[in-house]
Amino acid sequence: MTKRMTFKSVSEMPEIPISMGFMDWNKTGTWRAQRPYYVDKTPPCSASCPVGNDIVSFIQKIAEEDLEGAWRVLREENPLPGVCGRVCFHPCESRCNRSFLDEPVAIHALERFVADDMELRKEKVKREIEKAKEKVAIIGSGPAGLSCAYHLARFHYPVTVFESFSLPGGMLRMGIPPYRLPREVLEREISLIESMGVEIRTGVTLGQNLDWEELKSFSAIFMATGAHLSRALGIPGEKRRGVFQGLEFLKKINSGKKVTLGERIGIIGGGNTAIDVARSVLRLGKKAIILYRRSKEEMPAFEEEISEALEEGVKIRYLVSPIQIHSRNGLKRVECLRMKLGEKDETGRRKPIPIPNSNFFIEVDSLIIAAGEEIEFSFFPKGWERREGILLTQRDGSIGVKGLFAGGDLTSLQRTVAHAIGSGKRAALAIDCYFKGRDSEETLRQILIGEGPSISIFRYLHPDERPMDSHIVRFEELNMDYFEQARRQKESKLPPKVRIKDFREVTSTLPSSLAIEEAGRCFSCGTCNGCETCYVFCPDASILKREGVFLREVDYEFCKGCGICFTECPRGAITLKEEAK
Amino acid sequence: MKKVITGNQAVAYGVILSRVEVVSAYPITPQTTIVEELSELIANGRLNTRFLKVESEHSAMAALIGASTVGVRCFTATSSHGLAYMHEMLHWASGARLPIVMVNVNRAIGPPWNIWSDQSDSLSQRDTGWIQLYCENNQEVLDTILQAYRIAEIVRLPVMVVLDAFVLSHTSEPVDIPSMEEVDRFLPPFCPSYPFEPEEPKAYSVITTPEYFFEFRYKIQKAMEEVSEVSRKVEDEFYVHFKRRYGAIERYGGEKADLLLLTSGTVTSTSRLVVKKLIEQGINVAGVKIKRFRPFPAKEISEAIKGAEKLAVIDRNLSPGVGGIFAQELRAALYPGEEKPVIFGFISGLGGRDITPELIEEAIHYALSHSQPEEEILWLGLKK
Repeated sequence: MTKRMTFKSVSEMPEIPISMGFMDWNKTGTWRAQRPYYVDKTPPCSASCPVGNDIVSFIQKIAEEDLEGAWRVLREENPLPGVCGRVCFHPCESRCNRSFLDEPVAIHALERFVADDMELRKEKVKREIEKAKEKVAIIGSGPAGLSCAYHLARFHYPVTVFESFSLPGGMLRMGIPPYRLPREVLEREISLIESMGVEIRTGVTLGQNLDWEELKSFSAIFMATGAHLSRALGIPGEKRRGVFQGLEFLKKINSGKKVTLGERIGIIGGGNTAIDVARSVLRLGKKAIILYRRSKEEMPAFEEEISEALEEGVKIRYLVSPIQIHSRNGLKRVECLRMKLGEKDETGRRKPIPIPNSNFFIEVDSLIIAAGEEIEFSFFPKGWERREGILLTQRDGSIGVKGLFAGGDLTSLQRTVAHAIGSGKRAALAIDCYFKGRDSEETLRQILIGEGPSISIFRYLHPDERPMDSHIVRFEELNMDYFEQARRQKESKLPPKVRIKDFREVTSTLPSSLAIEEAGRCFSCGTCNGCETCYVFCPDASILKREGVFLREVDYEFCKGCGICFTECPRGAITLKEEAK
Repeated sequence: MKKVITGNQAVAYGVILSRVEVVSAYPITPQTTIVEELSELIANGRLNTRFLKVESEHSAMAALIGASTVGVRCFTATSSHGLAYMHEMLHWASGARLPIVMVNVNRAIGPPWNIWSDQSDSLSQRDTGWIQLYCENNQEVLDTILQAYRIAEIVRLPVMVVLDAFVLSHTSEPVDIPSMEEVDRFLPPFCPSYPFEPEEPKAYSVITTPEYFFEFRYKIQKAMEEVSEVSRKVEDEFYVHFKRRYGAIERYGGEKADLLLLTSGTVTSTSRLVVKKLIEQGINVAGVKIKRFRPFPAKEISEAIKGAEKLAVIDRNLSPGVGGIFAQELRAALYPGEEKPVIFGFISGLGGRDITPELIEEAIHYALSHSQPEEEILWLGLKK
C-alpha cells in the first residue's frame, strides 16, 4: 500500500517531488464532470446504402487483410456483392466523408474485390433451411427475389423462387449486358443462394403455368416481378417493323438470340437502358446514336456509364425529341423537334420545352426506344392498390393482404439493383415477423441504419453485437490531424477499341495490394477500429487493455473526464456526455 | 574539420554531435534555419532522432519535458515571441530539474514588429530557473552546446544557449567542427535521475504542499550555486579535448586599467577592436565579456574588476523603468563587495541597430571624461 513519506531535512529530500509508489489511492474519477464512452455511430456510406451494407466493417477487415472476414461481413446483408460491386450506382461513395479531404473511398471496387477473391477460395456454403418451417413462395428471381430468398433461408425457412424465364436473375440477366456484369459472376452468386437450400424453379410464369391457387400451399408470398414493359412514346410510327423496344432488345441479345439490325441505330431515351442498348449495339459492330430530349446534366443514366459510352463511340444528340417515325424501304426517318430547357420539374430536372417549327429529320436504319419501363399488372388480382404505376406497400413490403408482400421495381420508382435488394431484405424480415406474430414495423425501426430505410439483418440476428447509434457522422466530427491526402485507387479498364469487339467485361477487379491500400483510406467514420489513439493520449491511463488487448472501455475510477480521448479520436467513435449531477 | 558555416548551422552541428534523440520545435525567424537544417537531416535518415512537429513553442517545450523525463537527450530552438510563448513550460523544465538544452536566437519582442537582434527576449526569462549562456561567435556557439549538455546533466538544470539574430545566426564564419568520436569522449550518454520504468510506476512532479515546496526551490538555488564550479571543471575537460575555453567571463585589454568596458554577445567582438585601438593610442582601458548571465557570475566579475574605478556597461536590452539588465545585475552583484566602482549604464543597439566601433568609443570617452554619469541611463546612439 501507499506510504506517505516524511522528511526531516532538505538533504533527505529528492530533487523533485516524485511518488515512489503506486498512485492508485488517488481516485481521480471523482473529479469527473463529463464522461467519455465508446459508441459506434452510423457512417454516411452505410446510411445511404439502399442494401444496408456494413461498409466500414468490411473495409476494416480488408485493411486487416482478413478477406474471409470481409466476405462474411458483406454476406450479413447482401447475397450479391459481386453484382453490386459492379453495377451499383454506389450512393455510398457520393456521401463518403473522405471526399471532403480528397476523393471518396472506392467502395464499389472493394466490394467487388472481396466477392471475386472469395470465388478463388471456393467457399462451401451451409444448407440453412429447416423443412418443418413455414414455406415461402417468391415470384421473380431478380435482385429483390434473390435477396428475400437468401435472408429467409438464413432464417431457416424453406423457399421456392418461381422465375418465368429459363434462367434465374431477372433484370440482372436480361437487362444488364455481360460487359458490365459477366454471367459467371451472377451465376456463382445465385448458386451460393441455391446451395443454402433455396429452390429456384425456372420457366414458371404466374398466370400461365402457375396460378394463384397453387400458391396457396405457401404460408407467405413475396412478389418481385419487376417492371418489364417498355414505355411507349405515343408517337405515330413507333409500332412499325424495325422499331424495337429497348428492354426487349437487351433481353434478346443477353439471352443469346439474334437481332437483325441495320448499320445506323437510333436509340431514344436517356436512362441506363438507353446507354446499355447503345453500348450493346456498338458491340454488335453497329453505330449508335442516342436521341435525348434534355441535356447531359438531366440524363438519368449513371454518369460513369455515360462517359464510358462516349469513350466507346456512342453519339448522343441532346435536346431533341422525336414526334413521328417515318419509314421507307427499311430506312427510318425520325422527325424531331429541337428542345430548350425550362423550369425544374418535380424530379428536380429542368423540363424540356419544344421549340416550335424546329422540325428536322434524323435518318437511321433501325430505331430502339428506351424511354423507361412499366409494370405488367395484368396477372394481379383486382383491388391491389397501385399509384403512379407502382404497387403500394408498407415500409416492410406488406400490401395489405395477409401473407402477401412485394418489393423490387414492382413497388418502387427507384429502380436500382441496390434498392431491389434492400426491399427483399425488408420483406424477409417482415415475413419472419409475420410468422412469429411480431410487430414488423417496430422490429424494423430497431434495426434501421441511420434514418433508414435500410436495415441491418446482422443486428436483427445479433441484437447485442456491434450496436450502432443512428447519428450519421459528419466530416466536421472527424479529426483530420490523423489523415493525409491519398489518391483513390482506380480499377483498370480495357481500352475502348478493345472493349467494343465483344461483350467481355470492361472493368477489372483491383489487385489485392491496391485493394488493401484503398481500404486504408477509409476514415472508419464513427466506428472504433482499435487505432488506440485514445489509449496513447489518455493522461490518466484510463483507457483499458487486458493482456494487451484493447477493450474500448474507460476506467471510470480514474478517468477525470478531460475529454482528450474524445477530441483526439480520429473518427468520432467516442461520445462525451455530462455526468448526472 | 574546418567549415565556413552560419551560427544557426553551428547550432545544428552542436545538436548532431551531442547525439540528441528528440527535437521538437516551431519555426520563427531568425531561428528557422536551425529547425530546417535539423528536420532535413532527420528526414534524410542521417540522424537517429525523432522530430516532433508541434503547433506552438509551448508544446515544443512540453514535448521535451516529456522526453527528458523519460531519459532522452533533447533539444529545441526558438526566438523572441516563441520564447515568450514557452514561458510557463520554462518554469516547468527547471522545476522538474530536466537537463534540456535550448537555443534562443536573440530577437526583439514586438510591437513594433522587429526581427533583429535584441536581448530583451531571453532576459525576460531570467527568473525561470534556466542557465543562460551568451555566445560571441559561431565557434563558441557550437562549443557551448556541447558544454551545455554536460553542465545541464550534472546540475540537473536546463540551459539556454543564446546567440544574436543575424549577426551570428545568419553570418558565416570558419568553425572547427569536432568529430563525433571526439565529442563522444567528452559527452557521455544521458542518465536521468529518476529513470522511467513502466514496471515501477511513479508520478513525477506531483502536487507538493507548503510543507515541502519551499525546500524544492531551495534545492534549485543550490544547484545554481554549483554551476560556476561545475562549468569550470567541464571547461577544463573540454580544453583537454578541443583546446578552447571561454569562461563565465573573460577579461581582455590593459592589465591595470582604470576603466573596464562590460559587454555580452557579439558586441564583445567589436569592443575587442575598439579596446585594442585605444590601448595603442595610450589609453589604459580593458574589456570584460560576460558569457554567463544565469547564474550571474558575481564572484568572477568581482575578481576581474579589482582596482578599476569605472565600469562602462553596454546593454542591448531594456527593462523599462530600470534600464539595462546587465548593469542592474552588476550593481546588485557588486553591492556587498568592498570595491564600488562608478557604473556607467549604456543602452544601445535595441531592435538590431548596429553598435558600431564609433559608438563604443564614444561610450568609453564619456566614461573617461565624467567622474559620475549624468543620467541613470546613458542612451548610446539615440536620435536626440
